[in-house]
Order: sequence, then structure tokens, then C-alpha cells
Amino acid sequence: MSYLKLENVKKVYNNKVTAVDNFNLEIEKGEFIAFLGPSGCGKTTTLRMIAGLESVTHGDITLEGKSIVGLTPRERGISMIFQSYAVWPHMTVYENVAYALKLRKLKKADIDEVVQDVAKTTDIVQYLNRYPSQLSGGQRQRVAVARAIAVKPKLFLMDEPLSNLDAKLRVSMRTDLKRIHQNVKSTSIFVTHDQSEALSLADRIVVMNHGVIEQIGTANEIYHESETMFIAKFIGSPASNFFVVNVILEDGEVYLVHDDFKVQFNGQEKDVLIKNYLDKSVVLSIRPENFTVNKGGFIKAKAKIIEPQGSHIIINTDIGGEEIKIVSDLLELESGENILLGFNDKVLLFDSETEKRIK
Amino acid sequence: MENILKKTILYLVIVFISLSVLIPLSYLVTISFSSQIEVNDYPKKMLPSLYHNIAIKWDAENQNYIVMRENNEGIFKELYISSKYDKIRDYMKTQLNIDMTTERIEKDFNVAKDTGEIVEYKYYKSFFNNYIKFFTVFSGAEKALINSIKAALITILISMSIGGAVGYALARTSIKKKEAIRIGSLIVRMFPMVSISVPMAVLLVRYGLFDSMLGLAIVYSIPNIGLTAAITRSIFIGVSKEYEEASLVFGATEAQTFRKITFPLVLPAFAASSMYAFITAWNDTAVSLLLTNKNETLALLIYKSIGGASSIHYAASGAIVLILPALVFTFLLKNYITQMWG
Repeated sequence: MSYLKLENVKKVYNNKVTAVDNFNLEIEKGEFIAFLGPSGCGKTTTLRMIAGLESVTHGDITLEGKSIVGLTPRERGISMIFQSYAVWPHMTVYENVAYALKLRKLKKADIDEVVQDVAKTTDIVQYLNRYPSQLSGGQRQRVAVARAIAVKPKLFLMDEPLSNLDAKLRVSMRTDLKRIHQNVKSTSIFVTHDQSEALSLADRIVVMNHGVIEQIGTANEIYHESETMFIAKFIGSPASNFFVVNVILEDGEVYLVHDDFKVQFNGQEKDVLIKNYLDKSVVLSIRPENFTVNKGGFIKAKAKIIEPQGSHIIINTDIGGEEIKIVSDLLELESGENILLGFNDKVLLFDSETEKRIK
Repeated sequence: MENILKKTILYLVIVFISLSVLIPLSYLVTISFSSQIEVNDYPKKMLPSLYHNIAIKWDAENQNYIVMRENNEGIFKELYISSKYDKIRDYMKTQLNIDMTTERIEKDFNVAKDTGEIVEYKYYKSFFNNYIKFFTVFSGAEKALINSIKAALITILISMSIGGAVGYALARTSIKKKEAIRIGSLIVRMFPMVSISVPMAVLLVRYGLFDSMLGLAIVYSIPNIGLTAAITRSIFIGVSKEYEEASLVFGATEAQTFRKITFPLVLPAFAASSMYAFITAWNDTAVSLLLTNKNETLALLIYKSIGGASSIHYAASGAIVLILPALVFTFLLKNYITQMWG
């Protein structure tokens, strides 16, 4: 039996706007889950429904086998890190961390022990007597984390906790969060719109768009086996490239035909293509790093703009009027040069109508 | 060079501003501790005196005592001539603020009579004489003080409850025409309370609130509700909802959250606006002149008493009595007002 289970969860605002629909998810104990999606996709709403800060319009949420839908936030045994940290400004760091423990009527000595302990874990021991206004953003973030792990929650919820930090701090905080998660072994849900956070932190990622789940999977699964065109577009930097191609059968072989190239297709989807998509158009998705450049390709193109990234370069070109981005290690390539492109077999095909992956 | 010049000018301006407040205030304080005789002194002392130097001469010819006092220039001037000890006692009490028994006067004055020489004494003033007198001479001063406190407290109560609720609604709810309500409630402040008072008098009479502190407080609240709404609105916007949600998540009930999180966080706004409400009610004379009859406020009583020129030192002590609660109130709230949540 799963630890946390969301069944057909639905959220409708003012009887009109559907924020979340048909949300089904099962989480095992100790898992680190990320909700990933563009802003307004319903990921934060879902998190707030788990926390009890939003009501559930329809469906059920069970924690350890018991439904928590009717419970107030305090009865759910959860803790949360908010986007603005919500570290109370009129209390010292110590009081902030001790707040929940005091409410649980713990003994003073016990509270002190827990506070000192989590302060050590989160490296805020020297700030315990300060007020939040005397701390930097990163330090406040640590206070929020300390406060959240002090209560030993059943569920650890994080609502875009890193979005208010600067880029460098974000990366180091990310590592800290992962380290803390491994130490505390709490079951965690992390909401973010930043794919690199989700990919690097989570055991499994729930990709959401327009209030529904697009895909649930590991970082590898959603990156390499994206279920929908939305994910292929959303995940990856730069994003995947798309070509509308026609499927034709010649001499028993499947070919994908584009205005600028024609290529034989031997992937595992071949049979499905023959069965359902002959003489129809499908969408071919190729990740920027899955192109081969000047290694016996079959598409002629011109490197229009080169973006050096140090370890690799990003080539901007265009094929059949489409802007294409290619990641390559040909560091000495210069803009304006003619290139010959090919791609390996890690390509995905999508139905051009449903935008779902053909498999 | 330019910096020094700038600093010098800045400090001169600061000194000028402080002096222009402090000199009249210290003058008022001195007057409030002065005896009737000192009020007419010229030049005046900057600080209140604690005692009088009195010289007594026995006029054997007319069988009278001549009472003399050293003025601010160091010269003894004749003040009073009498042979009766109780008359001298009354004179000392009313004109010099010196509280003495007849026996003491008899004993001290007899020294001058017996030796036939001028005898000098240093008599300490009864220091708070004017303040005690203020509450006895102006019958109703005590009642007026209580009235003022009542009016101020009711004003604070009305402004805080209605203004605070409006502020909360403007900040946290999705009511319609927010901007219109906000601007509208502030526009009310543009009308002088005196001009509102005249039609209000008619209304208050109709509802039996004329000459009552509740009636006064209602009028005082008119400008302050809008102001309170504006001040509390901004702080309710500033206090992120996430502070409250965090409290709920970490195990507090709604009531505990209000008591431990919301209330302490919005307190500065309520402190600041209650100070404005207090000052409006406490300092007003014009409205209470129009809307009260027997139930005067302290400010009105003092305003009226300044008219009687002979008792200016009592009025001055009354004015100090009027200033003190406002000062205390402001100092009590000072910490909350200057508290800035970062």
C-alpha cells in the first residue's frame, strides 16, 4: 500500500475555473517527488490541497491509508516550506524553529535539543538569536528548512523554495536540500517550474500542464521517453526540435519524408507506423544533442549562429523554415559554415493530432 | 569644505527647529509652576523657581509687617503690608504659592519685630500648588479629564474596529469598488470636523447623543476611520498570507494563528492609527465647543480658562495636564510605530 495516495483529485474555483483535474498519484515512503510545470499549471494548488490550505472539490487524498481530506492543516502532520519562506519576522530564528514544538507542548529542554539539532543540520546555529530581517535570503531559507524538519513531519512539502534565491545560491541550496532529504529520509514533494531543480532533486517527477498530469517518471524517463509533445518542448535546455514528416512505405521499408530530407526508420515504433500512420504526417522530435554534425549526415544546413558554452556549443540553424538548435562538441565551428547533419536513433515520434507519443 | 558647510547649515536648522519648540514649552512649564507674583515678573526665569527669598521688616510706627521679596534682578521689593498673621498666611498662599501655618509665620515674623531689623528667610514653594488649584478652582476639571479620556478611548475603539475591518477587507478580500472605497474614506478627511459638527449636532440631538462622549467620539471617528483603513490596509497587504498559512501548517489553530502571528504583525499599524485617533480626540476644542454643553472635555476647559487672564498660571498647569497623557501615550506606542518588519 502506498504512503500517500491522490485519487481523481479535482479542484474547481468559483464553480468555473478548473485548476486541477483527474490527478492520480501514489507516493512511497521516503520518496522525493517533484511537481514540474509552467506557472498556472496547478502544481501549487495540488500541493496546497495536500497541505490542507485548499479544499478538495472532488476526489480523495489518503496518507498512511487514512483520508486526510476533511482534516485541518494542523491535523495532517505535515510541514511546508513556502515560496516566500514565511519565516515570521517578529520572532527570532530560535522562536521560529521552536514554534511548532511549543504548540505540541514539548518540554523546554526537549525543544532546545531539537532546535539545536536541526540548527546544526541546516547550519544556522550562529543565527539562532537573530531576527529574520538581519538574515540574507539564503539564511532565511535555511531557517524555513530547519523549522520544517524540526517537527519530523509525515510529509515534507516545498513550494518553489529556491525561486527567490540568486542563481549560484540556488544550486548550492539544491545540493543542501538533497543532502538533508537523504539524512532525514522524509517523504517530500517539491513544486518547481525549474526543470533542472526537478531533474536533479527528485526520484520521480510529475509533469503537469493545464491542471492535468502529462507524465510521471524518473528524470531519464521524462527526458528520453517524453509521453507528450508538451514535455519534449518543456523539458531540456535547449528544448527538443520538431519536424513534421510524412510516413511512407517503400519496398517494405518505412521512410520519414521531410521537404529537406528523407530517412529510413528502423525504430521499434516501425510496426505501429505501418499499421496506423502510413501516408500520414507525424511529428519527429530530436533532442539537440542527438544530432550528428559533419559525421556522414544527410541534411544540408548552414550554421547561422554559434553560442559557445565552454564545454560545448549550441548551433542555431534552420531546416525547412524551422529554427533548429543543435548541441555539438565541434568547438572550432564558425558561424556561416555549411554543415552536414544526421541524427542517431534516440528520436521520438508524436501523433500530430493528439500530440501523444507513438509507441 | 562644502560638506562642513552643509552639516553646519543642517545643524543650525535642527537647533532652530528644536528651540522653537522647546522655548515656548519650557516657558509654559515655568508658568505652570509660577506663583501669581512670578507670572507678572519681568524678566522671567527660564526654569521654575523652587523658593522665594522673603525679607520682613517691622514698621513700628504703623504697627505693621512689611513683606518684601527678592525679584529676578536681586532687588527686594515691597509686596504686602499687614499686621494680621492669618491675612499674611493667605497672601503667601495665594500670591506666592507658599504654604505655611499661622504659628510658623508668627514665630518667624516676631524675630523681625523683636530685633527691629530686616530679617531674611528662604521659603520653599508648595511646588504643585497650581496643579492642585487647577482641579479645585476650575470645578469640573477632574470630570473634564475623565471625559477627555472617555472620548479618546471611544474614538480609538470606533476607528480601530471599523477602520481595521475596512483595511482588512481592502487588503485581503475581493470586494468590488475597492479603489472607490479607499479614496472615498480618505476624502472624508478633507472636510473640517467643525463643518461636519453643525449638521451632526442636529443628528446627535435626535438620537440623544448630544453632550455625550459617545456623540463626540462618533464625530472624531469620521476622519480617523478612513485613515485607519488606509494604514491598516497597507500593513495587511504587507503581512503575507503565507505567514498565517505557515502557522496553520505547523500546528496552530486559527485562533492561535491570529494571536501569535497576525496580531503581533499588524500591531504597529493599529498603534500608529490609534495614536492619530487619540490625538484627534484629545486636542480638539472646536467640535466639543459645538457638541457639548455641561460635559466639557479637558482641552475645551483649558481653552476657556485661558480667557480668564488672572489665572494664566492655572491654565498653564492645565495645559501641562493636557500634554502629559498625550506624551505618555505616544511614548508607549513609539516602539510599535518604529518597528519595521524587514
